[in-house]
Amino acid sequence: MKVQVLQENLQRGLAIVGRAVATRSTLPITANVLFATDKGRLKLAATDLDIALSAWVGAKIDNEGATTIPSRLISDFVSQLPPATVNLEIPERSRQVKLECARNESTINSMDAEDFPRIPEIKDGVSIELDPRVLRRAIERVEFAAASDDSRPVLTGVHIKTEGDRLTMASADGFRLAVSDVTLAKAPSEAVEVIIPARALRELARLIADANEPVEMRINPQRTQVLFAMTDVELVAQLIQGTFPNYNQLIPSEYTTRAVVSVDEFKREARIAAIFARDGSGIIRLQLQAGNGMPGKLSVSARADEIGDNTGEIDAEIESSTGEAAKIAFNTRYLSDVLNALTGKVALEMTSPSSQGVFRPVDDQGRTLDEDGNYVHVVMPMFVQW
Amino acid sequence: MAVAATVIHVDLDAFFVSMELLRRPELRGKPVIVGGGLGPRGVVNTCSYEARRFGVRSAMPVSRARQLCPHGVYLESDFTFYAPASRQFHAILRDFTPVVEPAGADEAYLDVAGTEQLFGTPAEVAASIRARVRGEIGITASAGVSANKLVSKVASDAGKPDGLVVVEAGHEAEFLAPRAIRELPMVGPKTAEVLRLLGVHTIGDLQRVPAATLVARFGRHGRELHDRAHGRFDAPVHSGRGEAKSVSREMTFGEDEPDGERLRAVLRGQAERVAADLAKQQRSARTVTLKLRFPPFETLTRSVTLPGPVDLADELFQAGAALFERAWAEHDRRPVRLIGLGATQLQERARQLQLGETMQTSRLAETVAGLRERFGDGVLRRGAELRAPRRANDTPEE
Repeated sequence: MKVQVLQENLQRGLAIVGRAVATRSTLPITANVLFATDKGRLKLAATDLDIALSAWVGAKIDNEGATTIPSRLISDFVSQLPPATVNLEIPERSRQVKLECARNESTINSMDAEDFPRIPEIKDGVSIELDPRVLRRAIERVEFAAASDDSRPVLTGVHIKTEGDRLTMASADGFRLAVSDVTLAKAPSEAVEVIIPARALRELARLIADANEPVEMRINPQRTQVLFAMTDVELVAQLIQGTFPNYNQLIPSEYTTRAVVSVDEFKREARIAAIFARDGSGIIRLQLQAGNGMPGKLSVSARADEIGDNTGEIDAEIESSTGEAAKIAFNTRYLSDVLNALTGKVALEMTSPSSQGVFRPVDDQGRTLDEDGNYVHVVMPMFVQW
Repeated sequence: MAVAATVIHVDLDAFFVSMELLRRPELRGKPVIVGGGLGPRGVVNTCSYEARRFGVRSAMPVSRARQLCPHGVYLESDFTFYAPASRQFHAILRDFTPVVEPAGADEAYLDVAGTEQLFGTPAEVAASIRARVRGEIGITASAGVSANKLVSKVASDAGKPDGLVVVEAGHEAEFLAPRAIRELPMVGPKTAEVLRLLGVHTIGDLQRVPAATLVARFGRHGRELHDRAHGRFDAPVHSGRGEAKSVSREMTFGEDEPDGERLRAVLRGQAERVAADLAKQQRSARTVTLKLRFPPFETLTRSVTLPGPVDLADELFQAGAALFERAWAEHDRRPVRLIGLGATQLQERARQLQLGETMQTSRLAETVAGLRERFGDGVLRRGAELRAPRRANDTPEE
């Protein structure tokens, strides 16, 4: 194998696939990056067996071949090299890779590419084309609500279901539920219902960043693997098997009190309250008070034993069927997570201190937004003494 | 002993019944009995003074009460209705002094030493408290004032219902003397029976029995009995300020316990009791600690800090049981001498509700805690605990 590749291309490729390198694995080769010549380009790939990332970079191929190199070493090394051509060569029957760049010469011990786990290729199955901006936004509004502990594996994933040209993403960790609904440019050839690991989607959102090219999602006929393909990058993930809970019944359709507030102001008060809540119980108390002709208000407060307390107020348009102040308390993190996923204005709908708080993005008139699709976020409150 | 009479015992009169009469005034003047369940296993919680005339008493089986007082009005206790009034009652007391020792949902001790400038004499404070309870909650309270908790308790009982009895310092023995022996706290039916055989019917009779005789008959409790009969009692009013930093229960086995099922059952019971303590203090815990001792003195503790605060017995047990399984396996499942469960990193009581959760779990927990507070730890047990009853030599260190 003998290739020439530009330092900056190699560095970018390594940064992309490095996110899939296993950090703690019983299979040592998964700490390596696969280097392989592939149809006139250099293919880099890494996998921790849950997800796999592949990136193709332009290269001058003098001799076909493949090898694997410890990811940490090669990434650190390449990132320090000057922007020049990197020559990469494996002499016949050698287990060492020779690298030359500018006035550096090095040899690195490699492991045989034959031993590298095979990255699944998904050729058939259902294919769905997704707008990168809409996809990224939907992922960012949903993935954080997935469970981080794997006591219920299905909850560590994001549930994806299509119905005609609608695609719905949902995640829930037992305390909160996020549902994002987007419209597809074209309905898929058959309906899809799968659970994708939240981590895979998080990596995907990072890869998409500001990309403009559409993303193709392909699911194999056995419904065990998913591929996200962009021009030079592919992500493959194992699907989570199991049944995602039926969440529709958890989204209340009615409320007794609804407050519409500015997300930025709400975020600021939540951040202030979090300072007081962090040494204590992490509880933020909200009070929704109609204004009777005047603007209503949302008060955000927190207290900690032996430290003190804080109450902040922001203007709110309050709609209330009871006429009384409504109270609800949330875990600091759950509240800031949902606010961080939103911009503009948000509506908080609630019925009682011990039932769901529902957050929905709204326009200036308080109507539910439907620009990038519908979004609803349900958070179970903290039951506290008021 | 130059002690001033500054200790007040306040007790709500027939609390549960009074609360029921608030919402059903038409029952006033009738024998009303509030029971924890009205079925065959129900027990009388509280009864009105009218019902007491028929011989109905608290802790009596409801079935027995029905025989004594067939025309009585029988109601099932409703803790969710009583709890706010109980909190309000304790809040009123704390308006007068921070030195308040709650002794249940409906009674408490206060030491008002040093508050004369603000609120007047102890007798005046007691009168103000009674007036506020009547005005703000709408029910009556009785109060006793003396130099210590023991005599104040007897005094408030003597004044019931709706009375105030003041025993000046130095007059304790004189106040107690004419009263029946059963009115003295710590004299239960068995002790009373033994004393009756000794010819002791009143506390005055007991005062005349030489301390040595009582010690010979009752061991070290004899000395205590003698002191109490004279109205001597040193335990101060303990406000419990500087809230508990942890809550725990331990059990030392008489014989080292090899049975995992029983160890788990004991742990389960401890979780219930820790949960009840947390409920009483309105706290929840972030960390659960397990303590194990293998003979002779190899003691280990393991703890886990949970993602959110917990206060339900099930949650405490789950965390404790997971620690237990791991620690016990690491020690080759050897017989255990001591097992204990603790909750630390206490914070404001709060529960993160789960999606789809109704409040029923929490309500059940609160009812259990309410029962334990009133009737003691033993009133409710898990079925699992009953299958593994306490053995004669086991000692809970609670």
